[in-house]
Amino acid sequence: MSLRERFAGGGHLADRHFARLWADGGNHPHLASCAACRLRFAEFGAWAAAIGEEFQVEADRAFTSDRLATQQVQINRRLEAMERPGRVIVFPKSTRAVITGRSHGRRWVAAAAAGLIAGVGLGQVLDLHRAIEREPATHFTAATAAERANAIRPVSTTDGDEDFLNGAEAMGPRVKELRALDDMTPHSRELLRRK
Amino acid sequence: MSGTSAALAASREADASAASAVKSLQAEGHQADARERYAELVARHQRRASRIAYHYLRDAAEADEAVQDAFVKAYSHLSTFREELPFDVWFTRILINGCLDRIKARTRRERWLLPMGGSAASGQGESAPSERDVSERVASSGPSPEESLLTRERRRQIAAALATLPDRQRAVFVLSHVEGCTSREVSALTGLNESTVRVHLFRAIRKLRTLLAPGNGAAVERNEKGKRRVTS
Repeated sequence: MSLRERFAGGGHLADRHFARLWADGGNHPHLASCAACRLRFAEFGAWAAAIGEEFQVEADRAFTSDRLATQQVQINRRLEAMERPGRVIVFPKSTRAVITGRSHGRRWVAAAAAGLIAGVGLGQVLDLHRAIEREPATHFTAATAAERANAIRPVSTTDGDEDFLNGAEAMGPRVKELRALDDMTPHSRELLRRK
Repeated sequence: MSGTSAALAASREADASAASAVKSLQAEGHQADARERYAELVARHQRRASRIAYHYLRDAAEADEAVQDAFVKAYSHLSTFREELPFDVWFTRILINGCLDRIKARTRRERWLLPMGGSAASGQGESAPSERDVSERVASSGPSPEESLLTRERRRQIAAALATLPDRQRAVFVLSHVEGCTSREVSALTGLNESTVRVHLFRAIRKLRTLLAPGNGAAVERNEKGKRRVTS
């Protein structure tokens, strides 16, 4: 039975029928002729509108302008991130190190480099060793040997300390660089002379 | 009314041109420009999208995520957008599907969770403390505490009544009444027949009228709890 047939008897519209009329757009011949029903239907419409407004207000309170601005920034950030997809790291198939052909080659190169470094180092050490061995032969000539032999005087162990020091002073510094220091140092023979 | 429809037509035209511009920029590889142009569409639709998602999910944080997901999905699938359909209709469909997926996931999750007093609820009605409650506690020079309390109570009752509606009725009610979509638009958005949309709308408003009638607060509570028992 349609609404038109239902209300054809001229009775007022019941409150429960307003919902259908409201959903259908509110066109009914009875509303045009009955002021009381029109008023009640207007009240119903106002109630429905108030419900809608309540919903909107509630949602707008939850989503403030600041929140919407943040939301927009986050959307933009997500879109940017989407353009740069992250590098996918393959999960390792085995925990043991797998030697591929490429890594084998690298290993050879590393071994060669290590060998080269070791060789250069060893060569340096050997060179140094030879230099040390060669040094006395080149510097000790016959003249210097004779000089040294003259410079060395036998010191009697029976002499006193003073004699030993006097003897050492008399010899003077053998090293040229120490002469300046020797000149600055007071000598026991000078002290004895003053006495 | 004609002014509203003219504004809607103008807005849809702007959407269509922005969407086609973004599509062509994406195709040419100008991603930064495409994003910049897409931001216009986001700004134009995000408030409405947030409202819809909020009415579906009843949780501001989850609605926020759903809106973000929908915009990102729409951007990445913009090449499949047919321009004969308005962008807002196409986008809202993506959003609603996302919200429905979230509701399903939430229902599944709740099935395995033990209820812990009022805190384990799904974020519906009074049992879920939300940011709204916090913001309402802030002192202001607006209405008196008594008025605020009454308003809050009324909103809580409306939210509880809406939560008792079946999903389709709720979707149709929110889209047609709260967002102002026509029956044809709601039909395009939900995939329902136009006459079915009207039937759902009629049933939704009739039920809300019954539940929100003076002195029916307890009935709303009972209905809501009953619905929770059924869904969980």
